[in-house]
Amino acid sequence: MKFNHVVQRLRACASSLAVRRDALIDALMLVGARCVARLIRLLRMGAGTSLPGRVVDRLRPGLIERRASALPGGVVLVSGTNGKTTTAAMLRAILRAAGHDVVANESGANMTGGIASAFVLDSHHGTVAVLEADEAVLPSLTRRLHPRLMILTNVFRDQLDRFGEPERVVELLGAAARALPPGAGLIVNADDPLLWEATREAGPVGFGVRTSWNGSGTGSLDGASADGEPAVCPACSGPVRYASRTIGHLGPARCPACGWHSPEPEVKGTVLAESGVGRMVLEEDEWVVTLPLGGLHNAYNAMAALAAAGALGVRHDDALRALAHFHPRFGRAEEFDHHSRRLWLGLIKNPAGTGAVSRSVAADPSVGAVVIAVNDLDADGRDVSWIWDAEFEGLVEAGIPLVASGRRAEDVALRLKYAGQDMTPTEHEPLRAIEVASARCKPGQVVAVLATYTAMLDARRRLLSSRVASVEDRGPGDLAA
Amino acid sequence: MTADLVLAHLYPDLLLTYGDRGNVLALEKRAEWRGFRVEVVATQRGDRLPESAGLIVIGGGTDRVQGIVGSDLMDRRAELGDAVERGCVVLGVCGGYQFLGHRYVAADGSEIRGLGLLDVETVAGSDRIIGRVRATASLWGHEFELVGFENHAGRTSLGAEATPLATVDMGVGNGGTGRSGGTEGAVQATAVGTYLHGPVLPLNPAFADALLERALTPLIADAPLEPLPDEMERLAHSSARSLKR
Repeated sequence: MKFNHVVQRLRACASSLAVRRDALIDALMLVGARCVARLIRLLRMGAGTSLPGRVVDRLRPGLIERRASALPGGVVLVSGTNGKTTTAAMLRAILRAAGHDVVANESGANMTGGIASAFVLDSHHGTVAVLEADEAVLPSLTRRLHPRLMILTNVFRDQLDRFGEPERVVELLGAAARALPPGAGLIVNADDPLLWEATREAGPVGFGVRTSWNGSGTGSLDGASADGEPAVCPACSGPVRYASRTIGHLGPARCPACGWHSPEPEVKGTVLAESGVGRMVLEEDEWVVTLPLGGLHNAYNAMAALAAAGALGVRHDDALRALAHFHPRFGRAEEFDHHSRRLWLGLIKNPAGTGAVSRSVAADPSVGAVVIAVNDLDADGRDVSWIWDAEFEGLVEAGIPLVASGRRAEDVALRLKYAGQDMTPTEHEPLRAIEVASARCKPGQVVAVLATYTAMLDARRRLLSSRVASVEDRGPGDLAA
Repeated sequence: MTADLVLAHLYPDLLLTYGDRGNVLALEKRAEWRGFRVEVVATQRGDRLPESAGLIVIGGGTDRVQGIVGSDLMDRRAELGDAVERGCVVLGVCGGYQFLGHRYVAADGSEIRGLGLLDVETVAGSDRIIGRVRATASLWGHEFELVGFENHAGRTSLGAEATPLATVDMGVGNGGTGRSGGTEGAVQATAVGTYLHGPVLPLNPAFADALLERALTPLIADAPLEPLPDEMERLAHSSARSLKR
């Protein structure tokens, strides 16, 4: 009896030592990885946002999972084609305003390495993680990180040379939704018929956007616009009709043949007024909120973040207040001053998003010229055919001077010719394109830079190294003034 | 106003995956810039093809969507056959090209019947062919270079009746067996198929003009189309042809 007792004590002691040893190794790994990240940045070998996580994940399997499960507020994953970065940033702003310390992959490094790095580089004990995840890695991340909440924004055709077909992306997101742990929350765009139907069994909360003006932001109410996905019923493949359309194939749809219809969104924003890139008035439930950024795509991002905040227990009015003070960054509606010229940077990567951004730029009276920069590197998608499905006609009709830039500047100029602008100046290098555009502006006007992913990184890097700071300290809703 | 050229765009809201609108835009504008009146007719599922169509464009879609339009398209076998008989020009791109052939054999062995306007058949491969293409084309007496981007799983083999549209200088193209190796696209009477995106017509205006000239034959007889100021087209073409992979 006494002997058994001693053995038990010894075992407990040994296992607690083992736990402590594990914790020690974890801690050492983290310190080492943070040093590596600092070194990478110091030697200017990159941003150090992906490698440290990849290394730790390899050398110490399970550490990332332990870090994730140690967060009292749990993990939130954000995925989908458009709006990942902005939706995640909006939700972080809401949570930070509510006193959370948020673990984040803010620079948009959204593959497994970048997400592992977010945990590795978080040294001040976050309470909750809000991570954007690439669609391809979402199912495996879901199984590893056991998220408390998942947000799926939309599916548009994007990077077809990587994914093949948008249906494949819908499958990936559906698989991720099914892999959620019991009790986890799921927030899905109710206006995206195919995505909604692929995730419906997992019991999502829907969000959606309407406009106060009649009809559609894009295309006709039956049949898709060129920048949307085919308007077919997810149940019977018949043609669907829309009650209203916002972006591409997004909107409340109904199938006359089989009766399938979009769900009524539980969180629904109605855009009352849009005035360009810097301001939008939204009505939600009984609230009216002014967002400091424009475009119907950002109305969707805001509603997704709002629905998520509700699921995480943030008070509704607190969440709306945080949204009204949201400060966009990292090439998504970001602002710079360059040689006393205000620049506005917007990411474009596929037809639907480009159409939405172009429409808000064309409607903005403060925009004096626009640079459209398209690259064709792997991260952009090597096939640039998509620019022909994107609506640039509005920019041409608005008569705003346009400059084509990026590796495929000539393709952009040709696209604009067929949109009605005969000759478009081309400058491959983004800063020179910005200078050409700036020379065509009046004093005080803004140059809008619409750029694909690597073109955006290139432009930002050059802008930052030419010692211009991103514009900080900006009040809400005052951009277009 | 009666149009000089009626251009039927088949299933524009379904077969639209790879900038297919650009091809229609190129044909429409390049005819209009020469003073022809063009009417573009969107032909949806169940719609009758306009009888006066001089040009028909069929784009590409995803596998799911091509399955959806497949049965509607098969109902048009006679309609489209008659159109080609009377000299209507038909352009099929990627999935549209495969539809113009006899059949498409999917990866699981299932078969989708085609329109039979081109003596070709397509078998799905185990991997997708994705990348840039440069090819030398010959179409109805016009010689020109093609540049574009291909993204397809199908391997297309040409029968005796069909002629290759081009020989491949870079990329894969048809990827079929036998004499189809090293070729891209197919031509038979007034039906033309190609795998190239880009979209292919704005980037290769000589291709667009060859199609237009043939489609406008009832109006212009054998007179060539007047040249257009194509500086932007030439710049985009040569920029695309300089890309390596």
